[in-house]
Amino acid sequence: MTTKGVEIEGAGTLFQIAEPTASTSTRRAPGRAIGIDLGTTHSLVAIAPNGAPPKVLGDGESLVPSVVSYASDAVRVGEAALEDRAVAPSRVLASIKRMMGRSVEDIHFSHPYTLDAASDQVVRIVVGEGSKTVSPVEVSAEILRHLAARASGALGETPQGAVITVPAYFDDAQRQATKDAGRLAGLQVYRLLAEPTAAALAYGLDKGGQGCFAVYDLGGGTFDISVLRLRDGVFQVLATGGDSALGGDDFDRALAEHLLEQGGLDSPTPAQISAAQALARTVKEALSDAESVHARDDALGVAVDVTRERLEGLIRPLVRRSVRACRRALKDAGVVTSDLDGVVLVGGSTRVPLVAREVGAFFERAPLADIDPDRVVALGAAIQADILSGNPRGDVTLLDVVPLSLGLETMGGIVEKIVPRNATIPIAARQVFTNYSEQQTAMSIHVVQGERELADDCRSLARFELQGIPRLPPSMARVEVTFQLDADALLTVTARELMTQVKQTVEVVPTYGLSEAEIEQMVEESYDFAGDDYAARSTAEARVELGRVILAVEAAIEELTPRAGAQAGAPADPDVEASKAALVGARSAMDTGGADAKALNAARKTLEGASEPLARRRMEAALLAGMSGKTLAQVESSMDEERELAPRRGAHEAETVGEGEKHA
Amino acid sequence: MNTVAATVTPSMREERHDAPEPATLDITSRAAKKMRDQLKSRGTPEAFVRFGIRGGGCTGFSYMFEFSDQKRDSDHVFEKDGVSVLVDPKSMTLVRGTTLDFETGIRGHGFKFENPNVSDACGCGESVSF
Repeated sequence: MTTKGVEIEGAGTLFQIAEPTASTSTRRAPGRAIGIDLGTTHSLVAIAPNGAPPKVLGDGESLVPSVVSYASDAVRVGEAALEDRAVAPSRVLASIKRMMGRSVEDIHFSHPYTLDAASDQVVRIVVGEGSKTVSPVEVSAEILRHLAARASGALGETPQGAVITVPAYFDDAQRQATKDAGRLAGLQVYRLLAEPTAAALAYGLDKGGQGCFAVYDLGGGTFDISVLRLRDGVFQVLATGGDSALGGDDFDRALAEHLLEQGGLDSPTPAQISAAQALARTVKEALSDAESVHARDDALGVAVDVTRERLEGLIRPLVRRSVRACRRALKDAGVVTSDLDGVVLVGGSTRVPLVAREVGAFFERAPLADIDPDRVVALGAAIQADILSGNPRGDVTLLDVVPLSLGLETMGGIVEKIVPRNATIPIAARQVFTNYSEQQTAMSIHVVQGERELADDCRSLARFELQGIPRLPPSMARVEVTFQLDADALLTVTARELMTQVKQTVEVVPTYGLSEAEIEQMVEESYDFAGDDYAARSTAEARVELGRVILAVEAAIEELTPRAGAQAGAPADPDVEASKAALVGARSAMDTGGADAKALNAARKTLEGASEPLARRRMEAALLAGMSGKTLAQVESSMDEERELAPRRGAHEAETVGEGEKHA
Repeated sequence: MNTVAATVTPSMREERHDAPEPATLDITSRAAKKMRDQLKSRGTPEAFVRFGIRGGGCTGFSYMFEFSDQKRDSDHVFEKDGVSVLVDPKSMTLVRGTTLDFETGIRGHGFKFENPNVSDACGCGESVSF
């Protein structure tokens, strides 16, 4: 067994039995995960246990108003909270999503709440006499708890984990706040999912593996457009856009104005306005199916027929505004409509036929609208939650651990593991590599996956070349290679030369197309071939090491051999001759097929021994060269002068010291 | 431009070894008792302890010593006084013949691995090479 040269870290120290780094399957409870669409105005919860088709929970009232009431001691959520609004409006909190992850300075928009002046960092809202305050995270947690309780009934047990959707544009602070709310509600947040991605998942758009999609989300008060790219089964948000003050409520307002006009109400009271808006909403919804509706409100004195055409005339400018935002988002994403493979409609306001028509006209294709646009995000989240709870669905295997080690091929075809198997993602790991010889001006980066020791036995993921490495002596160049795996298992490998900062990047999804069985097989093989692998690895390492020393000795001989003609007929340098002789033996060891690590290491030791005087001379010279900027040959000759000068200089230094003392 | 490409000589891949030495692992009674106690206090007296080697390359190898709830078919199993220690075949090549002991002393309490595959130790005592 040749395992020489391998070191074990921590050997000789005392160990304790550690808890195993838990893998997804053992830590999570399959079938007990929920998907939550935590919206600004409404929230929903959906489940898809053990591969079942996803369904939204809550018969008839699946949309829970995102409203929390602190009017009494018992916190009330949803419809119940709305009831408290009349009694204690300041203690009923709505649209709290807008404050998630925001500090007091960030809140520029108007809101009806009193913020706690004492807390300058975290927003706290005053919800009662004295000092009773709540944070947006706590408020959101109440909504999540309410939804989780609803799911408990349907699942027959407490949900264990959740996937919560967030807008694609949410920043880290907003995402973290959402996660905190989940944890506070007693849920293990498996992942936050971008709302457009959830919608795309609900339509199964990931099945195609590749593609480009637009998700048009028109809610009650906000409009979002997202452009997604699907690569190797993973969605990436290319661009987001929208209008935070454009939604179905604006449609209602436009129609309400028209209704009030028709009713001859020139200066309506606030109550009349709100009654007209409620009527407008009903009319708008009816016109999604009917061509014409009779709108009548005796209290308002309104009794008028409204055609769909009329409504469309009123809201067309608003819809056109959203289309302009779509155009900008496509431009930001660098795609044109013909690049898209599909357009998804999300949000209740997309039920308005004009919206679907205008969107279809702009994107030059019929948008996907078969799934209830109010529920599609929650449904997608439920599918994702089920997968993350440990249920493989179809060919989709989403893992939160790295199933196979990721590494790089280094000299000799040896695999250097960068991200070990079973590491939890997201993860980033970094390692610095160096050059093998001074002639090396590029580094070939070969990203591999697997447990075997040699690159040939691993799965090749990507290959690229980092050019522009400065010419430096062996082991002096510094190339930093970073492996970054995000939550979707998208691997970004970046190689950067630290002196010149030249860099090169590649992106790949390591698990794409790998089945559970294949992963298992790759791990098993590494066990079966363990012995051979270690032998092959140590042989390859010994070969690389020997090669490196041969190169170094050759370079030293070259440098210390006088230029042809310069000193013709000079006596042969005994150190050079000894090294030359040893090189012959070393090269023959390299050329011997099947030489094992032992033989190679022995050859290396012999060569190192024979060339030791040469190496020492070279190092001394190199040190001086480094200080003076001279070539080694120049230094070699100047070193002789140096020896002659040395005694005199010592004397001079002594004098200087003496003078210094005098002045002191 | 010179790119040093990594190459593997095919011949060395075909290298075959003599019949593998028997897989052995010695567990002292003291170590077995400690493991048994700790498995019990963990609430999983029937579980196993997994011993092995992790990592490789410049980052180096390190010992892995942890509780394990599952036994794999390929695992080597070593029993001592009712405790089973599992070693995966890959690690076995590097820990064959190791004595697993429990030490109490000036350095504190803990499990100690006497690995005969280790040929020389570096000065710090923290890192050992074969």
